[in-house]
Amino acid sequence: MITETPLDPRAIIVVEDSDEDYETILWIFKKLAVTHPVIRCEDGEELLHYLSQQSKRTERDEILQPGLIMLDLNLPGIDGRQILQRIKANERFKVVPVVVLTTTSNPKDIKTCYQNGANSYILKPVDLEKFVRTMQRLLDYWFEVSLLPDIRIA
Amino acid sequence: MSHAEVNEEFYNSNQLIDLTNCEREPIHIPGSIQSYGLLLVLKMPELTIIQVSSNTLALLGLPPEQLLNQPLELLLEETDIHYLRHCLQNFKLERNPLQIFTIKIKGSAQNFYGIVHLIEGVVVLELELVKLIQTTTTPGLYSQVKATLSQLRVTLTVREFCQSIAEEVQRLTGFDRVMIYRFDEEYNGEVIAEARAAEKVDELTTYLGLHYPASDIPRQARVLYLLNWIRLIANVSYTPVSVIPTLNPVTAQILDMSSTALRSVSPVHIQYLKNMGVKASMSISLLKEDRLWGLIACHHYSSALYVPYETRTACELFGQVLSLQLSTKEDSENYDYRVKLQAVQSKLVQFMSVDEHYLDGLVKHQPNLLDFIEAQGVAICFNKEYLLLGQTPTKLEVRDLVAWLEANKAADRPADVYYTNALSKEYEVAANFKDVASGLLAISISQTFTQYILWFRPEVIQAVDWGGNPNKPVQLAEDGPQLLPRTSFELWKELVQQKSLPWHDYEIKAAHEFREAILGVMLMRQTGDLIRLNQELEQSNIELDAFSYIASHDLKEPLRGIHNYSKMLIEDYAQQLDDEGKEKLHTLARLTQRMEGLLDSLLYFSQVGRLDFSVTEADLNEVVHQALDMLHARIEQEGVEIQIPQPLPAIRCDRVRLSEVYSNLISNAIKYNNKAEKSVEIGYLKPKTSGKPLVFYVKDNGIGIMPEYYETIFMIFKRLHKRDRFGGGTGAGLTITKKIVERHGGKIWVESVYGEGSIFYFTLEESGTYEVSL
Repeated sequence: MITETPLDPRAIIVVEDSDEDYETILWIFKKLAVTHPVIRCEDGEELLHYLSQQSKRTERDEILQPGLIMLDLNLPGIDGRQILQRIKANERFKVVPVVVLTTTSNPKDIKTCYQNGANSYILKPVDLEKFVRTMQRLLDYWFEVSLLPDIRIA
Repeated sequence: MSHAEVNEEFYNSNQLIDLTNCEREPIHIPGSIQSYGLLLVLKMPELTIIQVSSNTLALLGLPPEQLLNQPLELLLEETDIHYLRHCLQNFKLERNPLQIFTIKIKGSAQNFYGIVHLIEGVVVLELELVKLIQTTTTPGLYSQVKATLSQLRVTLTVREFCQSIAEEVQRLTGFDRVMIYRFDEEYNGEVIAEARAAEKVDELTTYLGLHYPASDIPRQARVLYLLNWIRLIANVSYTPVSVIPTLNPVTAQILDMSSTALRSVSPVHIQYLKNMGVKASMSISLLKEDRLWGLIACHHYSSALYVPYETRTACELFGQVLSLQLSTKEDSENYDYRVKLQAVQSKLVQFMSVDEHYLDGLVKHQPNLLDFIEAQGVAICFNKEYLLLGQTPTKLEVRDLVAWLEANKAADRPADVYYTNALSKEYEVAANFKDVASGLLAISISQTFTQYILWFRPEVIQAVDWGGNPNKPVQLAEDGPQLLPRTSFELWKELVQQKSLPWHDYEIKAAHEFREAILGVMLMRQTGDLIRLNQELEQSNIELDAFSYIASHDLKEPLRGIHNYSKMLIEDYAQQLDDEGKEKLHTLARLTQRMEGLLDSLLYFSQVGRLDFSVTEADLNEVVHQALDMLHARIEQEGVEIQIPQPLPAIRCDRVRLSEVYSNLISNAIKYNNKAEKSVEIGYLKPKTSGKPLVFYVKDNGIGIMPEYYETIFMIFKRLHKRDRFGGGTGAGLTITKKIVERHGGKIWVESVYGEGSIFYFTLEESGTYEVSL
């Protein structure tokens, strides 16, 4: 992946309670030479706090803005499904793509997530090579293929 | 057969001589009458005299020969005959005597009471002399009776009621002694009321409270008491008057005198009365619900005593009133107890429906089973468990007793409720525990299982005052053994042993009702059990869902971690690791993936068992081709020849799952195959007999299965081969296949020749045929 700026202002927010899974994701990002800042939220509480902090900032302050949210469904505290609803209910952040990254392949979960506005639903495989490939495609798709909205525009 | 011959046969029989011999005496055809009246037997319809009692000369002045085969007009006035015909036409006189009128006999100055009934197609006309009246049939008999009856209404107990009736009958008839007998279950009698003529009170010792053995009134005599409610023996020393001719010309039989008031008395009974010093007697039947409850027995000691028909009718009326009152009076006497039984029963039923184990409801609360039917001990037998309450035999004794009850169940006695107040008579072993269980009332709760409730009553050594020794009713006459009723009527005390207080009708009825109630509760509880089982099933389904979640997420998370870290190790530390180290890490990663595969299979297997199937009509050809399409690459690669010898039928199934069955079986057929030219045949067999299901099969020319593994292959994660031979796999394929087949209601099995190939057969229903036309 080639980027012109050393640091992409669009951050990837990873909502992930498992340290091992987060470390694996970071490892993959490193392998893929991801230049986006990565912000980790260990649970929904933290994500919602982060987002509310973000919305208080003025335009000038903003160096970072959320570009993509990777959301685990099974989190301590507020459930991932609820967090998804909260994000999509927020006027400012609902335009940020949310990729559900989870282990449950329950058809009901998949459907509910899409109904609640998930932009993608991806299974964490027990296969690192596969996971790397998945991540590569995912980031390519959202950051290279797609054009993302600028949340600073009112 | 003459009367004499009949008795001859009876007395000369080699039976053990005992009063029970009376049971065999044909007392309804004595062939003679008592001497206080006349008997005419008339042929229908012309009313010709065909039989006559031999005392006509004395009473009418005409010898019997002059009456036989003569029209009735010879004796009766035309108006009387006319009236007789009227009665015969308009009243039901079959075995039902009716006093029709006072008859004037031609050429005689005397008036007679005429009593008529029909039997075996002939008319029996009994005539009693009106002038014979000795007692003062006081005028206004009707008002006397009426007054007595209204007075009786205020009496409270059965005994009081009986006492009043006894006194009234005594007063009306003038008998020296009037007693009221009450029979027990075995028809032993007890004198419960007695009235003695005022002038005889000192002379006659009271019989009140005395018992008389059942043999005093033999069975066939009791039958006659049921038929004729009143019986007069006006003079114990009468000479029987024979009926001429002996055989009735119409019936060619000895006249059946069952309904004849004048019927001659059994010589045994006459002897019995004589032994008691009785010169005249009268008895009136007391009935309760068609059973002989007792008798009003009248004895006269000073002389013969004729009681006129009208007075007898009044006495009979008293008997009927008493009979009618018996059920209500007797029942109301036990009213309180019965109310209690009801109340306790409803409480027990209530406890039973609430308690976890319904039988606990019978013992663990107040009131409990001991407060129900009066008993000193209760045992509950529930299959092999025994619960004892109060004073009972030991557990082992109860067990044997229940076994005895079970063994007797098949016999003629009703299986649901059994009772006795002399258990040791029927079950000798019970003598060992007579002090706690001489009386037993048992209900069987289940037809199939040994479930009983038993109530025990202890032995009550009862002192019974017999009117004479009931065990020695026979006297030996000097000229050899002869049946003579006992002569001693002096008080004879007997101790009754190994007997409890009797179980009353309403207690037995309560036991019956209680049994019904328990069955009701059991039924209700069983329904409740089903509901609970359903809830438990639902709960376990929820738990399975939780399991699926755990399997798919919680178990996989660390697994993924192990996998990822070993992979990261291989990459990040490639320099530091030698080849062996890298290989081991690769193995580690591979194992985690296998584990994931197992978890997925397990999860899927649990889903197949639970998730709803969508059964529709499906073309099996399409289903199979769907499976083949999925396996297309493999089939191409291995060059497998797929044969479908005949088009497959349309059937009802869940097409997605069934396609999975085929893809599992076909992929196994390819996988476990070492032949150069692999072939798979897919087909079905029609049943030879209708009503059997179609059998589908998948046949291969693969490695085959040894018979000892025919079952094993269907077990989850069971593998017959080394893991990586034949392409590996989790070992859940056939288990899931079997589950899908079974969920369709079918069966799956295998036939194989080891080394040559296997055929997997399956059905998709239990019976009938799945074939439907599309």
